[in-house]
Parts: sequence; structure tokens; C-alpha cells
Amino acid sequence: MSQETEFIPYIVKPREDTGLYNAKFGIWLFLASEVMLFGSLFSAYILLRVGSFTWPVQSDIQNVPIGAINSVVLLSSSIFFIRAWVALKADDIAKYKKFMYLVILFAFIFLSLKGVEYYQHFSHHEYPKTSVFLAIYFLMTGLHALHIIGGILVNSYYVGPGLYLRDQNKQWFINRVEVAGLYWHFVDLVWIFLFSTLYLL
Amino acid sequence: MEEHSQQDDFKRDLLIYFSIIALVGLIIFISHLQLKTLGIFLIIPIACTEAGILGFYFMHLMTKKRTVHLLLLLTVIVFITLLFWPAWDVAYSPRTPSEFTVY
Repeated sequence: MSQETEFIPYIVKPREDTGLYNAKFGIWLFLASEVMLFGSLFSAYILLRVGSFTWPVQSDIQNVPIGAINSVVLLSSSIFFIRAWVALKADDIAKYKKFMYLVILFAFIFLSLKGVEYYQHFSHHEYPKTSVFLAIYFLMTGLHALHIIGGILVNSYYVGPGLYLRDQNKQWFINRVEVAGLYWHFVDLVWIFLFSTLYLL
Repeated sequence: MEEHSQQDDFKRDLLIYFSIIALVGLIIFISHLQLKTLGIFLIIPIACTEAGILGFYFMHLMTKKRTVHLLLLLTVIVFITLLFWPAWDVAYSPRTPSEFTVY
């Protein structure tokens, strides 16, 4: 056991009162704040849409096939993350790395497809200033893309330079990866709502 | 024993994965039907179901401690309150509808 674990309580074992270890409690608090952040934007979207006389037929403006493919891509990355975590728990580092690289690859595929969509919008002279719908579309999907980039950075760290942390304390490292996974699933969950509301309604 | 359990978990995860993809396909199909308001009332609950399945199984909400459930419940209550607060204002505002025209 490392020196740090002796001084910081509940980084591996859960607290008796909450039943959660520190990082898991922290990530759930963070995710709650994220729900509020995206929730406020969804509220803005609903109010703008309900309050306007006309609203574009979103599926005519949007590239629905790319959005659908992106949904499958993110869902696939989520399931790869679960496999990576299971492999890590089983001490199978080669498999853990393989699945984590797949998670990162799929995240890049998602961003690339998003880039293609943005390019199509810009080539049709559709910018955030063009309409309220496009303004909120670029804002919400852009914020979501930033979350994906954040996830890529964290996941890359845990499969690359941060892997040494496993040698210090295995269970602590497993917990860290689990927490990163919760974040990644949340990003996937937000996309489900983004795709439904900004592409299909 | 544990390996067997992990295989069961993997099968369950795959089942959930394909279920969510099927639901994505379903909402795309519904949107193509151009049902307008009815479409909204169909697509939103299906999207919530997808998110719920993902949360319950992939994020293990079904086995989470009460602390997490209470935290999320509090978040949802605050979120819904804040969502409907301005909606109330918009619905009962004396302003003319033209002020809301945005497109």
C-alpha cells in the first residue's frame, strides 16, 4: 500500500455512511452538475421552440444518417469501456489496453463525423448566427464535443502515461477507471437526448 | 465461476446494446412518419427509455447505493422546477406572441 493511501481515507474502500468511495461520490456530484448544465440548455431549447411561431423541420436541415451512425459509434464505445474495465479487474492488461484504444478510436470517429456535419452546415452558409435553431444546435453539440475531447484525454491518460498508477495500488486504479467510465456513459446518455431533440423532432 | 458470471454479464450488455440501437432505429422511423405533435410524444418517451436503460445497466444505477439515488432525485427535482418556472412565465405573460418569433 502506498504512503498516500494511508493518509487519504476511503479512496479504495467505501465510506460506511454513503456506501461509496471518494471518487465515486465525487463523480456522481459532478454528473449531477452536468445534468443541470445540459438541462438548462434543453430548457432553453424547449422555451425557444414553444415560444416561436415557426421552426424549421429539423430532419430536413440535419444529416440524420450521420447522427444515427454517431449514436451507434458512441454506444459501441460505451460497451468497449465496460469490456476494458472488466479486463482490468481480471488483471488482463493487454485486453484492457485493446478495448481502451477502441474506446478512443470510436471517440475520434464520432468527432470526425461531427466535423463532417459541421462542414456541411458551413458549406450551406448555415452558421450559429443564421437562426436560433442553428445557434442552439451548435452550442449544444459543440459543448458535447468538448466533453468527448475531455473523455479522450482522460481515457488516453489511463491507457498510456497513467498506467503506472496501477503499480502503486491496483484497486485504486480500477476505481479511477470505473469513475472515468461513468463519465463516458453519461456523455453517451446526453447524446441520446441530443440526437432525439435536435435531429428528429 | 466468475468467468461464467462475466460471460453472462457480457451477454446481458450485448442484449442491452442491441436493444438501445433498436430503439434508436425506432425513433428514426417514427420521425420519418412526420407525426408532428404525436411524434414528439412518442420520440421523447422512447429517448428517455433508452437513456434509462443505459443508466440502469451501463452506469449500474440499479445496484447503486441510496446516496446516489437521493442525489439524482434532488437533481431531477431542481431541474424540473427550473424548467417549468420560465414556462409558467411564458404561458401567462401579457406580451404579444410576436415577441417570441425567433425564426
